[in-house]
Amino acid sequence: ASAGSKVPVRLQAGSCLRTLSTSRDPREIANSLSTLTRFLENGEFTRLHYTHTLQALVSARSCQWFSSSSDDDEVRRPWHEFVFTGPPDQTLLVLLDTISSTDECAGLDRCVSVLEKFLSVGRLEALLWSRCKVGGVCSDSSQLTETVVGHLAALPSITSNRLHTKTPDAFLPQQYYPLLATNILCMLEKTCQALRDGQDCSLGFVAQLLGKVCMQGYSSFIFETLVPRLSSLTRTDPLWQRVIQKLLEKIPERCMESVITGLIFNLRGAAAVSRLMGNLVVTNKKAQFVLTYKLVLQQYQHPTRLLKSLLGYLALNAERRPLLKQVLQSVCQVWCNSSAIKHTCVEQQLYVSKALLLCVALLNLSEIEELREEMLQCMLGGVQCRLDSNIERIRRMGMVVGECLSHRLDMPGSQLKFKYEPDEEIIELKSLMESIPTKDSEESEPEHQSDDTSRLQPESETSLTQSVTSQSGRDSDSELDSDDDLTPYDMSADQEKKKSAPPRYVRDCLEALMSSNDAERVELSLQAAEGLLRKNVKATQEVSVQFCKVLLHLDDRYNTEGFQVLRQNAMVALTVTDTKPVVEYLTTEFYSLNYSLRQRLDVLEVLALSAQELSEPITNKHTGAQPIAAVAARDQSDDITHWRQIVETRIQSKTRRISKSATQMVKAVPNRYASVAGSFIFPLLRNYDRSQVTFDLLGTDHLVLGRLLHTLGLLMHLAVNAPVASQMGRALLDFVWAVRFHTDQMVRRGVMFAVCAVFLSMPSDTLLTDLSDDLMETRAWLADVAENDCDTDCRSLAVQGLILLDKNLTTQLQLPDVET
Amino acid sequence: MARPPPNPLYILRGSGDVVNTLHFCCDGQGPSLLYSGSGSGAIHVWNLTTRRPERVLESHSGNSVIWLQALKESSTLISQGRDMRMCVWDLSEGRGAVTDALFTGSVGFCQCSLLETQPGSTLLAHPTEHMEEVSVVEMKSWTQVCTLKPDLKLGMLMCMKMWQAESGPVLCAGYEDGSVILYDVSHRRLFSCLKAHTEPVMCLDVDVCRQKGVSGSSDNILQSWTIDDQRNLQMHGSVQLTNPGVSSARVRADGKILATAGWDNNVRVFGWKKLKPLAVLQHHTDMVNSVAFSDHQDPPQRLLAAASKDQRITVWSIYSES
Repeated sequence: ASAGSKVPVRLQAGSCLRTLSTSRDPREIANSLSTLTRFLENGEFTRLHYTHTLQALVSARSCQWFSSSSDDDEVRRPWHEFVFTGPPDQTLLVLLDTISSTDECAGLDRCVSVLEKFLSVGRLEALLWSRCKVGGVCSDSSQLTETVVGHLAALPSITSNRLHTKTPDAFLPQQYYPLLATNILCMLEKTCQALRDGQDCSLGFVAQLLGKVCMQGYSSFIFETLVPRLSSLTRTDPLWQRVIQKLLEKIPERCMESVITGLIFNLRGAAAVSRLMGNLVVTNKKAQFVLTYKLVLQQYQHPTRLLKSLLGYLALNAERRPLLKQVLQSVCQVWCNSSAIKHTCVEQQLYVSKALLLCVALLNLSEIEELREEMLQCMLGGVQCRLDSNIERIRRMGMVVGECLSHRLDMPGSQLKFKYEPDEEIIELKSLMESIPTKDSEESEPEHQSDDTSRLQPESETSLTQSVTSQSGRDSDSELDSDDDLTPYDMSADQEKKKSAPPRYVRDCLEALMSSNDAERVELSLQAAEGLLRKNVKATQEVSVQFCKVLLHLDDRYNTEGFQVLRQNAMVALTVTDTKPVVEYLTTEFYSLNYSLRQRLDVLEVLALSAQELSEPITNKHTGAQPIAAVAARDQSDDITHWRQIVETRIQSKTRRISKSATQMVKAVPNRYASVAGSFIFPLLRNYDRSQVTFDLLGTDHLVLGRLLHTLGLLMHLAVNAPVASQMGRALLDFVWAVRFHTDQMVRRGVMFAVCAVFLSMPSDTLLTDLSDDLMETRAWLADVAENDCDTDCRSLAVQGLILLDKNLTTQLQLPDVET
Repeated sequence: MARPPPNPLYILRGSGDVVNTLHFCCDGQGPSLLYSGSGSGAIHVWNLTTRRPERVLESHSGNSVIWLQALKESSTLISQGRDMRMCVWDLSEGRGAVTDALFTGSVGFCQCSLLETQPGSTLLAHPTEHMEEVSVVEMKSWTQVCTLKPDLKLGMLMCMKMWQAESGPVLCAGYEDGSVILYDVSHRRLFSCLKAHTEPVMCLDVDVCRQKGVSGSSDNILQSWTIDDQRNLQMHGSVQLTNPGVSSARVRADGKILATAGWDNNVRVFGWKKLKPLAVLQHHTDMVNSVAFSDHQDPPQRLLAAASKDQRITVWSIYSES
């Protein structure tokens, strides 16, 4: 019978199609459609002719009968039946192909609406299920499967490529992928049911699909819907666990990374990861690589939560624990690698530190004993490298991790202990170690919390408010007997009485600082110094260099409050009051023997601050800086200015002004820095490469080099518009050129800052003539740093420098055009 | 931000020497007066309305006046000087003569204490030539009622205050070793002893209504103590001062605030209930020797006066609004 009906099926289908394309009679159309629908039960038709038929039906040419009678239920019902009961994979392919190939017309709209309907009536699930049943359609060629997977995974892209802004919401990734996820869930449920009934199923198709979607970067949409359900289903049902683990095993290798990452990212807690993944990390090489290497050592954008679940997952099972040790070993190696510290960014170092602490916290005592030697080496090396660093964040990270490790290694009597100010980052790092005892409780009651948080929160809040009210109640009881009805006055002026009086003369002050053993006298002198120095210009000039010497060598012997600031202010006051000799002294001392790094840094800071103050116009703030003679003169002529002022104000008040703008003219004042800028900068550039026993600027003392470059940049920037600026800039660029590839990031930051300062302050014409030879090389170097440097600040400064250079270039190149 | 501390209401200058002691007399009859005793033996009678000295009494043959008090009824003033004598002054109708005097023999700085048990009968407690001894005498006849002496060695008598309790006059005395002792005057015995400080007790005051007292010493602790029903002294609260040394402490009559005179030139004001610091009055340039609250009937008029080694007297109005 099948041989007999073979011809009629093809022919009948053909005649029906002809009828449909030509006829305008609804009844006739309906008849042909129902005939076609009946053929769906015929395996040959669905396998061989369905695609053609559907293509013909939806193609633009045959659309008029449908649109003309679109409100006719008689036609619509068989049509829907034909489309939505036919083989779903073919339908989807035809619809998507039609959408992407059809021009804009009514046919396109119809196709879109059919596809929408296709999604909404749950044909996706049918599609997935048909591919999952063993002995179903899965005997297709792998090429067709590939096509179907591709179309399913890329539906949003395919449709929006064609429809642009008119894409329906249902096709947007935000809606489509969650829908796909729900369909996958339904399908998995069916699979479980089938397995219980003793049927075989194949998860290859879904695995492929999942992999493809994740590869395209939509893992978050899929897993946000999928993961919470799976996590709760697997908690009770071992069959589900097996199904999911099988599914993950079937994921194609090239998609493994994105699937696993998305999965772990969306899972809460190590126990959930363990339920879903089983021992995948042991059996699958790729998964092992991703989990034990890539996620820990190569990527660093993930939240700590992910690291916690990942490492907790490794720790949960005896088969996986060797992997945890392996991770710890590799993390240790990276953590104590000094070149890694220099060439990776701070964020990644933080991430690795977190991983290290988590690993250590998860190990038990016997495992720690095994790895003791390695961890000790790692700790000592890593802490030392980090303490060498110029960046405070890295230093602190080293201190915290060192402390935690030594605590965990539990060395009697030789635990590391550092002094630092705790901030958020440090607290987080420390909490990683502490979270271990609570680990078990977290596992025993897993993500119930995530479901129940909304219910739990109000409770805890009420209990909180209760405790607050009870506390306040107690307070009010005790307050009955208090003195609170009397509000206190400001008592900030209540300070401890000093025994001795502050010095009144510069020389007294100097003497006290030089020779006094009385803590209070030294403190008072230091406090009084700045004011005295600024007020008594003549007296200051007599002893300026000596005073500066004393201050530079002054130790904080008595733990004076604000010692550094007071000392620095006094030195700045000296420099500003008697610039030439003091600057000469400071710049020579910077390179001389037997100073500590701190003192050299102080010199730099004082120079920078003084230059800044000198370059600012004199404001009322520093009236004390004016010579005392001027003050006396003003006192004498006091009454004269007084009446003059009165007359002045009277005239002002009586005069009616037509224009208001000119009343506040900014008075030009000479820039005090411009004339002395050279003496600040050139001595500092002179001796940098003369290495001494106590000071090796280009070697180990790169901290000072970084500060020096920064200070030079500042001095350069403050000298903008000064005549000497172009010479300064040239000299500075020469200096910078020698150290531009320094390994320390602080130094590189300094270099970038100095370069930016030069570009900002140097007149653009001289800049171009000076740079002309090296212009291209400079640009290339800046571009390279902007792209490849591991330090964020260096990169952004380099970009800044490039912009400035380009701006200089364009103004310079445009100028002749304007003139001609 | 808390209010800035107030400035003095006015300043009385011209005492010509260190001012040691103050006494208000503002009971409504006649002008409000403030008596001050100076280091050169002069007693100034300040009129608080004109803010001028009404008269100046030269006394104690140029020796420092360390204590002054006026009797409530008659216009009689009693002064104590470093010449080891007590003088009784009749100031009525413009007179200014010493009517009576008592040789105490005390060479110390301890101030006397006066108790008017009933009109016409006044008890005076004064230090004697024996350093730790208190002698209580009846004013009219200078007949000695009793002498009080601690059994233990407590060092010199530093300060005292006598008041009338239900059972009879009671005297509280502070000693050099930091102890505060409560005596029953009528039975000449010791009620209780409290080691309130580690340094000498420099001053004390007792709020009779609340059975609570305060003592200051040369260290930086201000200590308050209570007297329970069995006449035992008990530590109550303490407050730490920024700078050590309290030369005088006074509780205001309404029991709201306490003022102390500090060696650090500051007058400090505390809440009396819990010794909560309320204000630091900074004006003097030298040690403050004495503080006193005025006895105005009308609470808003009540003043605080402080006498200092810098020869000035400052008068403040603080927490007097309600």
